[in-house]
Amino acid sequence: MRHTLIALVEDRPGALNRILGLLRGRGLGLHSIAVGDSETPGVKRTTVLVDTESVEQTIKQLNRLIEVLEVTDVTNAEYVVRETALVKIQVPEPRREEIRTVADVFGARIVGSSPHTVVVEMTDTPDRLGEMIARVMAIGACETMRSGSLAMPLGGPARRAKIAGPEDTNQAWWSQADGIS
Amino acid sequence: MTDERTGAQVMCEALVREDVEVMFGIPGGAIMPFYHAMWEYRDRLRHVLCRHEQGAGHAAEGYARSTGKPGVCVATSGPGATNLVTPIANAWMDSTPLVAITGQVSSSVLGKDAFQETDITGITLPITKHNYRISRADDLPSVFHEAFHIACTGRPGPVLIDVTKDAQQARVVPDWNTPLNVPGFSAPVGIDRRVVREAARLLAGASKPLILVGHGVIISGAAPELLAFAERTGIPVITTLHGIGAFPEDHPLSIGMPGMHGWVHVNRAIQECDVLLSIGARFDDRVTGKASTFAPRARIIHIDIDPSEIGKNVKVAVAIVGDARAALCALLDEMQPRNAAIWLRNIRETQATHQHRQPYLRRPDTSELMPHDVYAALNSELNGRGGYRVVTDVGQHQMWAAQLIEWRRPRTHITSGGAGTMGFAVPAAMGAAIAHPDETIWAIVGDGGFQMTNQELATIGQEGIKNVKVAIVNNGYLGMVRQWQQLFEGKRYSGTPLSGPSFAGLAEAYGLRGITVDRIEDAPGAIRAAWDHDGSVVLDFRVEREANVFPLVPPGLSIGEMITREAPA
Repeated sequence: MRHTLIALVEDRPGALNRILGLLRGRGLGLHSIAVGDSETPGVKRTTVLVDTESVEQTIKQLNRLIEVLEVTDVTNAEYVVRETALVKIQVPEPRREEIRTVADVFGARIVGSSPHTVVVEMTDTPDRLGEMIARVMAIGACETMRSGSLAMPLGGPARRAKIAGPEDTNQAWWSQADGIS
Repeated sequence: MTDERTGAQVMCEALVREDVEVMFGIPGGAIMPFYHAMWEYRDRLRHVLCRHEQGAGHAAEGYARSTGKPGVCVATSGPGATNLVTPIANAWMDSTPLVAITGQVSSSVLGKDAFQETDITGITLPITKHNYRISRADDLPSVFHEAFHIACTGRPGPVLIDVTKDAQQARVVPDWNTPLNVPGFSAPVGIDRRVVREAARLLAGASKPLILVGHGVIISGAAPELLAFAERTGIPVITTLHGIGAFPEDHPLSIGMPGMHGWVHVNRAIQECDVLLSIGARFDDRVTGKASTFAPRARIIHIDIDPSEIGKNVKVAVAIVGDARAALCALLDEMQPRNAAIWLRNIRETQATHQHRQPYLRRPDTSELMPHDVYAALNSELNGRGGYRVVTDVGQHQMWAAQLIEWRRPRTHITSGGAGTMGFAVPAAMGAAIAHPDETIWAIVGDGGFQMTNQELATIGQEGIKNVKVAIVNNGYLGMVRQWQQLFEGKRYSGTPLSGPSFAGLAEAYGLRGITVDRIEDAPGAIRAAWDHDGSVVLDFRVEREANVFPLVPPGLSIGEMITREAPA
């Protein structure tokens, strides 16, 4: 079954690599992963869509990784999901109006164009993105780029990611290292 | 400036601060600065030059498993580092505290496919608790401290530190006062009393309870608490391969080993029991057989320090997450004295109808030396003396050792369990021998496994190690595979017949004593001679070639379905 997990991950070198390696090593299907800064410096908040028989076991395995601070399964909670798509459509000038119409219907924006192409940007649920892409594909050849899903639970207080331990100490050893991947 | 040190000196200083007394390794280009600095620390840090990095890694494991302290191994970049992969994987599977230090090419050429460059942190990602690649000497004090902390805290395991050559050479003023800061690494929590009471209630109401003891009891030093608990409750005790030694086998409540080569009465007891208390065991498939049919009548209480083990392989009724010793103490407080005398008598009756400590070996018509002759002789010698440990390798000889020797004390039985690494025994015995120079360390090994790492006999010779006694159970086959071929694949002995040199001659060539034994009556004397010889010895026991390990649960079946003896020829 597909689960939507939100993980807080310390921004140490190799952290993302470890998460991906763990999922692959345990034979779990990774559907999408989105990584970005959280509100706390040094901590990334990631959304992972993973196919697993036992989500409890998957969460425990992720928690064994030193960099993983916390994992929450929001699959059965109330949460919003958003994904961004950029779609480049090859379409001659006379048919651009059709693209504009589709974009208006879906709340998408035309964010750039060239003599032979337009680029549409849309942020919505993955399903709605799929519908929009199907529509514009009927108009012209498409190249699509999607960000992977971002999930945010609705309930509960806004939570600040915490790094436990002394905050006034020297820089962490990985501070000058080469990023999360 | 007087406080200034090279990165390599900082590494040595860090090891001294972590109470490391010995490390096993082989130098090479990218780790040379560390070896250069090591010279100044040679009175405090002993370095044992091994003949292969795999030997160094297993030696560090043997040191760690026999003492409970972290083992340290060292290698250079590239092939030196990749040769450590097998011992690291072995330590990962068997929860052994191991710190592996590797040199790495200089930062300036990193990522450029430099000479002897390998991404060893990438390679060891899935088989380490954590690993580091360090390119700044300033980071060394905190990283070394963190690495030892992670390797030894909670469920122990391997940690690798890869240090670039320029970081070893750089001059820094080390800061030893950086506090540990690993928020994502949760130290073991306290025991949840509420869950403990629930477990106690289950146990109190059980009529056929069993205790299943794993490696965790030995790691946490809980053998005395286990003994007290078993005696207060009268519950029969099973020890897994890695649990061997946690409970004395001559105790009336000890019933033996479960699983693929476990005893019939033990596996039947598991299939019949109503409450199974598992302490520090992880329900490996070699214990459970087909997991869905394991202990079908039992409610399982699972004590483990690693939450990810709970519910991984079997369904658990009550989970106690925490240190085995603390959990046992808490549980002991909640238990009223009771006994399970009728249940135990039933188990003993089953046991009586099947042979115990009598291997299911059919002696051929000739008077050939059988494996169990070797174990019988060794066992009676072990019983008469103290101050020994036994390291076994992987295969038939390993199962016979687990079955046929009467085990009594924690950390006296050391083997490669989870990974099943042939070649483990000789170097691991060497590591244990260095940790315990006043004890006799037996390595029991097959002729296959022996030939995978026997180059470490040269290390034993060079280091003047006198207390390693290697007993080769030599049947001229990769015996366990041959046994499966015989039983399940129509006797097609594909790739299993195995020759070797004169092992006694090889031992002599390495400057050790070698003894060949091929007659039953010579076995006890040879073992005594080896034990009393003032130096390391290799005993080559040439045993019946096609002896088998029984009982046996065929792979993939329930542990209730055992083959107990040879089909009549």
